[in-house]
Order: sequence, then C-alpha cells, then structure tokens
Amino acid sequence: MDHDTSHLRHREAQEQTNQQQSGQTAIEFATTEEMIRHDAAQIEVPPAIAERLSKSIAAEPKRSLLGRLRFWK
Amino acid sequence: MQAAEPVELETKKLSAHAKLFPPEFAAVYEEHSRAVYYLALRMLSDPTQAEDATHDVFLKVYRKLDQFRGEAGIKTWLYRITINHCQNLLQTWQHRHIHSNADDAVWDTAVARTDSPLRVLETKELGQRIQKTLDALPEEYRLLLLLVADEKMSYEEIGELTSQTPDAVRGKLHRARKAFAQHFQKTA
Repeated sequence: MDHDTSHLRHREAQEQTNQQQSGQTAIEFATTEEMIRHDAAQIEVPPAIAERLSKSIAAEPKRSLLGRLRFWK
Repeated sequence: MQAAEPVELETKKLSAHAKLFPPEFAAVYEEHSRAVYYLALRMLSDPTQAEDATHDVFLKVYRKLDQFRGEAGIKTWLYRITINHCQNLLQTWQHRHIHSNADDAVWDTAVARTDSPLRVLETKELGQRIQKTLDALPEEYRLLLLLVADEKMSYEEIGELTSQTPDAVRGKLHRARKAFAQHFQKTA
C-alpha cells in the first residue's frame, strides 16, 4: 500500500509540475480514499431529482411519517 | 461575512427540500442525497442513470420507512438499498447497452460544484479519470473503494454491506488500492 500510495503521490506531483508549466494548478492526494472523497465533495446532486421525487411522493398513498422516524439516526 | 454565505446557501437548500418533502424525509434527503447520488454515479458510470437510481432509491426509502428499525445506521441502510438497486441495473443487458453509448456531453452536466472556472476543468478531469479507473476495476473493488472513502463507514459496516468479514474487507482493500493506483496512472 505504501508503495502504491507513494507512486500515486509521485505521479500526481509530476502532473502538477507539468500543469504548473502550462499555467494550470493540480491537486495532490495522499491516498485513493482522499481522492475519492474530494471527488464526491465536488459533485452537486441534480435539483431535478428532488423535484421528481416530490411528485412521486405526492402520488403515493398518504401515510404518516411521524412516529415511524424516531428510530432514525 | 463571507463565512456566513455557505450556511445561508445550505439553509435555502434545506428550505427548498422542506417545501418538497415531509419535514423528516427532507432532512434525510438533505443529509444523504449526495452520498447516494455519488455512489450510484460511480457504480453506474452514467449521470442520467444515477439520477434515476437516486430517485428510485429515495422513493423506496419513503415506502420502506416501516421496515427500518434502526439496527443499522440510516446510512448503511441507504447504501444497502442503493447497492442492490445499482447491481440489479448493472446485471441487465439494457444497462450495458445504454452505458456503451454514454455521451461525454452528459458528463459536462454532472460536475457543477466549483469555486472557479479553472476549478471546473480540474474537477471535471479528476472525476473523469476516477470514473475511468473505477470502470477498469472489478465491481467488488470499485464498491469497496467507494464505501471506504466514506469516513463514517467502519470495516464492520462495509463487511456487512458486501457480505464478508472485516478482515476480508481489509485484505481486498489492499488489492483494490493497488489496482486503482495502477489503473489511475494509465488515465493521465
């Protein structure tokens, strides 16, 4: 794992150098998980999902949510 | 002054969801929709299908509230529904057909949260490279890496979601990280 991580870091650093030379900036990550977390944080959930979901829920039979959600979290 | 802006933005988003959903469901959607959408996006490798999957997962969540008793955390429950849903999609020929025709233009709309125009380019490139790398990995490795990237998930919970022991998760993660690093280099 250390070797892979080190290799990944080296590669990213190399790309950073290349990008700096071309006027761009690069982001360096120590681990695969860190990189994926960064990627996930950049993702915006499309607002259309909530709007569509709202319509779908409105079409569902009416049910009381209160009392059933005390187990949540 | 600047620090207050993101809070204000989050409050506005929460208010928007509160208008769309019952209050408790709105809170769940607000807190977990990004994790569900991201997992679906990277598992399915298609933003449009990830949108559909996220909608379907949360509709199932709404319908299955009665069945949730809190033995596991809410996130583990949401992840289980998402994984099952995405794996079912991946098993169909139809999905493979649609996936093979995925258009790069679709990806242009998948990444929108950025700090600057330059950041857009960086983020888009990183996301595409991560996706190409994950696509090259066995499905099990892909899933393990996506789950372990969630800092709130323990090896025990990941083992439960992937039907294996925590020790097996650790061992496979070692190989998954190695495979990811090797494939990631090829995407440059």
